[in-house]
Amino acid sequence: MKRSRIIFFAIVGLAVIIVIGGLIWSRVGKQEGEPLTPEVGGDVLEVYVVSALPIADWVQETANRFNAEQHTLEGYPIHVTVTPMDGLTAKGRYERDEMDPLPTAWIPDSRYLVELVNASYKERLGRDVFLTDGEYRARPLVISLLAWGIYDSRAQVLEDRFGEISWHTIHDAAVAPGGWAELGGRPEWGYFKLAISNPRKNISGLAAMVAAAGEYYGKTNITVEDVANPEFQTWLGEIMGSMSDLSGGTYTVNDLALFGYTTGDAGQLLESDLLVNMQGIQTRWADPLRIVYPEYVTWFDFPFTVWMGPETSALEKNAALEFQKYLLSEEAQAQALAYGLRPANPNVPVTGEGSLFDRWADQGVMGIIPRTTAMRSPDREVLQALLRWFDLNVAGR
Amino acid sequence: MSKGARRRSSSHVRLILLLLFGLLFAVIGCCCGTYALLGSLLDGKDETGPAAEEPALIVAYSSEKEPMFTALVEGFNAQGLETADGRPLRVVALRLDPEEMVEAVLDGEADFQAITPDSSVWLGQLDAGWSEKLGDEGAAVVGETVRYAVSPVVIATWEGLAREIGWPERAIGWGDLLERARSDPDFKWSHPSTSSSSGLLATLAMFYAGAGKTRGLTVEDVTAQDTLDYVAALEKTVRYYGEGNEPALIEQALQEGRDFLDAFVVQEQMVVYFNTHRRPEQERLVALYPAEGTLWEDHPLALLETADLTPYHRQVFAQFREYILSSEAQQLVLRHGYRPGDHTLSLTGPDSPLTAENGVDPAEPMTSLQVPNAGVIAIVRDVWWYTKRHTNVYLVVDTSGSMRGEKMTQTQAALRAFLDQIQGDMERVGLIEFDTGVRTTVYLDELGDNRAILEAAVDALYAEGDTALLDGVAEANRQLQRMGDTERINAIVVMTDGRENASYTNLQSLIWDLTENAQVPVVVFSIAYGDDADMELLRAISEPTGGQVREGDLETIQDLYKILSTYF
Repeated sequence: MKRSRIIFFAIVGLAVIIVIGGLIWSRVGKQEGEPLTPEVGGDVLEVYVVSALPIADWVQETANRFNAEQHTLEGYPIHVTVTPMDGLTAKGRYERDEMDPLPTAWIPDSRYLVELVNASYKERLGRDVFLTDGEYRARPLVISLLAWGIYDSRAQVLEDRFGEISWHTIHDAAVAPGGWAELGGRPEWGYFKLAISNPRKNISGLAAMVAAAGEYYGKTNITVEDVANPEFQTWLGEIMGSMSDLSGGTYTVNDLALFGYTTGDAGQLLESDLLVNMQGIQTRWADPLRIVYPEYVTWFDFPFTVWMGPETSALEKNAALEFQKYLLSEEAQAQALAYGLRPANPNVPVTGEGSLFDRWADQGVMGIIPRTTAMRSPDREVLQALLRWFDLNVAGR
Repeated sequence: MSKGARRRSSSHVRLILLLLFGLLFAVIGCCCGTYALLGSLLDGKDETGPAAEEPALIVAYSSEKEPMFTALVEGFNAQGLETADGRPLRVVALRLDPEEMVEAVLDGEADFQAITPDSSVWLGQLDAGWSEKLGDEGAAVVGETVRYAVSPVVIATWEGLAREIGWPERAIGWGDLLERARSDPDFKWSHPSTSSSSGLLATLAMFYAGAGKTRGLTVEDVTAQDTLDYVAALEKTVRYYGEGNEPALIEQALQEGRDFLDAFVVQEQMVVYFNTHRRPEQERLVALYPAEGTLWEDHPLALLETADLTPYHRQVFAQFREYILSSEAQQLVLRHGYRPGDHTLSLTGPDSPLTAENGVDPAEPMTSLQVPNAGVIAIVRDVWWYTKRHTNVYLVVDTSGSMRGEKMTQTQAALRAFLDQIQGDMERVGLIEFDTGVRTTVYLDELGDNRAILEAAVDALYAEGDTALLDGVAEANRQLQRMGDTERINAIVVMTDGRENASYTNLQSLIWDLTENAQVPVVVFSIAYGDDADMELLRAISEPTGGQVREGDLETIQDLYKILSTYF
């Protein structure tokens, strides 16, 4: 072969290699540039976790530690990315196929939400997408229950008049025509204002309504018939009519701290949120907040649920379980105390270093609650009946 | 081989090598071209188009917090954060009216991924519209939301006047203000239109007062004739409305002092701003926290959970959220006179401007008005158009030769936008053109009757001749005076891009006619369009009437007309 031909083919070959090399490099580079895509990309197992907002900070902090420790599975390093997302928003995105990228695992507030998403997929695909038993079953990570948060000045007035704080007390305060002046409080406090989350925006609002129904009927298992009872509806309507914002906005403990007694005298809200915001409330408003536990209690257990569809590989599912195990480790569970969360791991006590349960004991928070009755998880129909009632009678839809 | 043959052979080799290198570049060029084409097809987008622009999270914000919010965005961008693959984590702030934010998202035309309106009320409206659009009760587009700055809505009034009506010995309510407005014909007060939350609050407060309630407002209450009569009677006492551009309002109060207005509805932060910027001899403003209750401007920052949201946007949002809640950013928020979202930051510390000296009280307000559900709010906003003080407004437009081309095209679009914004068909609008002479193109009439005529007249505007600005304003004033309608707001919105050079009217006589010689008060709002407009002359016309002068250009003229429409 002539030398010029050799040079010709060498140059063409070189050009082709350069272009193909560039193409491959560019594509690989692009994949590395989209870190939220869950896949076995190159050498990393990406675990994409969508977390409910009340525990998102704890999950993120734990993920940071997990990533820093460089855990591996079958030789692949695991990397966890956490996206905070309200449980109801996540449910809607699953149902509308808008989860992009699809999370490897979801930590909703409550297993109510897992069941609702499963029911929706079962209708469409004929199978569950989150398992309720076996190795990949949903496992509670931490627990937080709904408790009364009430400004001390208001609590004293209600206790003087009614003896205790309960849904019945709140009802009577809510319907007092003369407002606080009639109840024995100061006239400038205006009417009694209930602080609970909008159940369409935040699952804790729905849980509070379930708790109210439990107390009204004095039982733990609420049925659709109970919700449809006109007397109960009138009673609940009078309570909900004292919410300060019916426009559809969310209401959280953060709001109770930011707006103080201006917009909420008392509310049934998530214990962990109450504890996290306690210092802020004391700084911003001269009146401290007191925590009171209701007789009929609802709670969230923040289950770690692994997506079982074919969109994620077995390796990714197992990598998610590795992170789940880490979240349940004694160290991570102890860290949760600083966020006002009760550990799901029974080996970790509620008290201890950095525990908000110790710090705010004087404000009424208890590690072990002596006298409560746990509500049973209502079924889907009951929840939907409550939401429909709320839409029609409170939200005005 | 001879020397010459070797030289020839060597030059052949060089030629071949040269050709081969040329071929190499051609092959690489073709491959790159093919790759670019393939890449574009694979990615499904045109890399040379907008997608190739530098990425950013675009946040639409409402105007009242512009100084504070833009400072926060600058602070965030100055950190120079990047994604793992080197893309800048950047926020772009986009100024937008809250109502427009809601409409853009519902129409699928939003070019932003997060919003920070003045109040959460808009988030409720947005989600209600979204679930209606999707036909899914549970559907929501408002995602993660954070509050970084809040401020209660207050009635700002002069300290002397506040003392006259009983402050600080007793709590002053909406009822006191409204009673004063009804009983004192010289009392001048203003609230923004319902497109801002302080305007919505003032309107809700009137409907509550009209219905004799402070909670549980229903559609029946709002539409009851007694309530409508009560609200209409009060609205008649309003001097004029406004766009909720509170900084502009406060600037005017700083310039004019007590002559401006006796009372106006703003967020508490504006009272702090006034008192920290007033001249020493100027009277203080104080914040009255209404005894019946108030609302909060809570400035939520909310991520929009649309299908277009990317992981990049989420990442920027998370970082921006972290930044605006950081100690540095929260101190900035407090310095601007807002109550910071970080409630562990004391409002009574030495660095806090929230002091009695600055006319505010961090322990207030004591209670709030109940925010009704989205359905009732929508009815209040609709019904307000019937109860509000109606308007006679003349649009006085410069059609001189200098307005030719793009200037005129943009003006026509702006005038159409002005008409679109005024939803009430009972408002009266007319059109006067001036160039070398003056023509009343469309006489004042209710929009229900002349909207189409006005639109056609706007489309037919034609630029030619000189600038008889004073004659144009004088003609509009003459017609308004002839009508003698004291029930309505009488106003002129005049726009010019040049200098007066053709009028018979002189400035002194025009001002005399607009003020001392006027049978009905007429407010003149002026738009100085471009750099050549005579600002001094426009100020001389507008300021004695209690109006304003705004500067506009090709980019802003539409927004300016839209803003001015909220005054009526």
